[in-house]
Amino acid sequence: MKKLTRFTKKALLVAVLLAIPWSPAFAKSTITVALIGEADTFDPMISTKDIVSQVTQHFVETLYTFDSSWNVAPLLAVDLPEISNGGTEYRIEIRDGITFHNGSDLDSGDVVASLNRWLEVAPRGRGIADRVASIEATGPLEVTITMNAPYSPLLSLLAFSNSAAVIYPEEIISESIDNIIGTGPYTIGEHVPDQYLQLVRFDDYVSRSEPSNGHAGARQQIPDEIRIIPVADPNTRVEGLVSGQFDFADALPAESLERVADSDVAEPVLLKPFGWPIWAINHKAGLLTDKNLRLALQAALPIDDMLYAALGSEEFFLVDASLFPDGWVWNNDAGVEYYNQNDPATARSHLDAAGYDGTPLRILTSRQYEFHFKMAEVAKVALEASGFTVQMDVVDWATLGQRRNDPALWDVYITHSPFLPEPALTSLWSVTARTGWGNAEKEATLAQFTSETDLAKRQMLFSELQRLNFEDVGFIKIGGFNALMGQRKGLEGVPANPWPFFWNASVQ
Amino acid sequence: MGMVVLIVLTIAFFIVRLAPGDPAALMLGPDATPEQAEELRSRLGLDQPIIIQYASFIISAVKGDLGQSIFFNQPVTQVLKSRAEPTVFLSLFSLIIALVVAVPIGIYAAYRRGSFFDQSVISIAMLAASVPSFWTGLMAQRWLATEYGWFPASGYGGPDTVFIDRMVYLVLPALVLGVVNSALILRFTRASMLDVLSEDYIRTARSKGMREPRVVLRHGLRNAGIPIITVIGLTFALLVSGAVVTERVFNIPGMGNLVVNAVLRRDYPVIQGTLIVVAVTYVIINLVTDLLYLLVDKRVQY
Repeated sequence: MKKLTRFTKKALLVAVLLAIPWSPAFAKSTITVALIGEADTFDPMISTKDIVSQVTQHFVETLYTFDSSWNVAPLLAVDLPEISNGGTEYRIEIRDGITFHNGSDLDSGDVVASLNRWLEVAPRGRGIADRVASIEATGPLEVTITMNAPYSPLLSLLAFSNSAAVIYPEEIISESIDNIIGTGPYTIGEHVPDQYLQLVRFDDYVSRSEPSNGHAGARQQIPDEIRIIPVADPNTRVEGLVSGQFDFADALPAESLERVADSDVAEPVLLKPFGWPIWAINHKAGLLTDKNLRLALQAALPIDDMLYAALGSEEFFLVDASLFPDGWVWNNDAGVEYYNQNDPATARSHLDAAGYDGTPLRILTSRQYEFHFKMAEVAKVALEASGFTVQMDVVDWATLGQRRNDPALWDVYITHSPFLPEPALTSLWSVTARTGWGNAEKEATLAQFTSETDLAKRQMLFSELQRLNFEDVGFIKIGGFNALMGQRKGLEGVPANPWPFFWNASVQ
Repeated sequence: MGMVVLIVLTIAFFIVRLAPGDPAALMLGPDATPEQAEELRSRLGLDQPIIIQYASFIISAVKGDLGQSIFFNQPVTQVLKSRAEPTVFLSLFSLIIALVVAVPIGIYAAYRRGSFFDQSVISIAMLAASVPSFWTGLMAQRWLATEYGWFPASGYGGPDTVFIDRMVYLVLPALVLGVVNSALILRFTRASMLDVLSEDYIRTARSKGMREPRVVLRHGLRNAGIPIITVIGLTFALLVSGAVVTERVFNIPGMGNLVVNAVLRRDYPVIQGTLIVVAVTYVIINLVTDLLYLLVDKRVQY
């Protein structure tokens, strides 16, 4: 019996040792996050990809950020800036005692060098470079940005984590930066590409003292380590989540909702609404330079059918015309009568007015985002029923990314975007964007909108922009869609957000 | 071998550039302008005339430099080295599983030709060969990893995972690949053994009173060895060059996953480097296979 007991003990010990490597429970102080892939770069200035924002926001910081209601809030700045000289001068005080990961102290020299680089290399920074007269250090911890004319989206741009105006130490500033050094609550520990990115707590981090509120307020550095795992296959993210391997998994397929909801380990997180599928229209070349054809396209689209086919369940989409969802300050109903017409007769009358000769309408889309393809398939049938000849150019995303840069190759391409906190952050409004939508009335309204600082007036101007978008068919919002994510039961401190962050995360 | 590598280098170089897609546009994201993408292309040297890019690539490759990964910003050789461990061990484990399952069963099925056992084995092998490996992988992952928790669902460990623990992550994918590949090896083993067991020299061996295991294993298996070794060699080469689907399903950072991601990212140097490694692997494994013929059949001479 004694022998058997010893044997049993040994067997139990071996079983425990063997179980350790695949035990789903890491140390409680590690939060394991499955994202859709690797960040293309750790320098968020140079990329507008969401995956880059999601990863880098943990180790680099901006002067401002957004709270849970998408209001601009200070991060590295002490407070919101003092705006003077008719809205052209922004005096920004920088927090004292902030340390970079390399041990150097943050001062105005770092901020000036970083913002100047942002204007030179960041897609969003370059977009406003000609509006900026100067960026000067006006004190050891004070910077003044002078604009050529008032520009109200500036603070949102400085707060946005996408093509972000992050602050680096002056000594590492160059056109490309290989070793990223920031001020964020975590630093890069170890990175094995396509396997994991280990982010470890930065001990010298000085958090803000206000309560945590969205990206703003205290960044509590609760986990010792955040481990980001790139998992390209959506089903693998689901299985990793429900097996307890991951504490959080991003971008889960809609059909996995029930499986995650039934799990003992995990629970679904539905970000409602997440974003909007967009039909970007080529105004530079091709068929849709003709307004009548654009109106025909808009009249023919059966929006509700497209959304149903693409997203499968009403739990995942909303047939909604307004460019911003209900509850947002930018939500309005200007021009919504043009939305979801599904009216072949009206479409045909516009085609007749245009003298349409049957030239194919080229829809550029990709199956890498299956819902893009599905909505295009449904639209194709409706467009053909209305008299269009449709050519579907279905390519992989890399090819789409290349082709859409050549206006000769497409009439419509399909994309999507999260709802952004400030309308001017959407490049589709700009005549210099690849879609090239130019319209004298729109340009004048947009100029007023971007220079106006009073919110009520800006809301009114945005309604006008939305109406113009419907009337001139600048681009087409197909609707709203929700995003499914999943998290371990008991995970707290991760608010549902298009760019989820984990510095306040803890597992109960 | 030199010629094979040169041909592969050339094909690899041109085939990836024939595919449309722009790594610069992908890296910069949706809101970058065409001008910004063009600037990055220039910085990456992708705006050079194709023939200059080709010449530069060949000269560097001859020196053992496969270039710099666009995505990882690391030398391609370093990227490939980091992917070798999971792929090599996954291939070895799955081959061992396949051999342990397939060869004895294939031999016994041939020996018991037409029996219930033989018919069952053929049916099961047919089923295993017909079921797509992604489905087998998904089912194994769902039941053996998620439901029963016997294995990790995916990945290859973290910063604190030592070698032996990393190997644990390969057990389930190796089982899946082993089962899928055992079907092919089993069928070849059985067919090859059936041919040999009906030969005159087998009858002679039996008539001399030799014991059955000796007849089957010494006279039968030895003579049936060449086709079996060939299919094992090909299977191993296929595995080493990247079990794309299985690595994807189990999120194993091996060669298969690398090449799929490299294609999606249009990381030309990595695609080229992977193709070269695959070509060289095939050449070496074929060479080893040819040499093994010498061991199993004295009649073979080179």
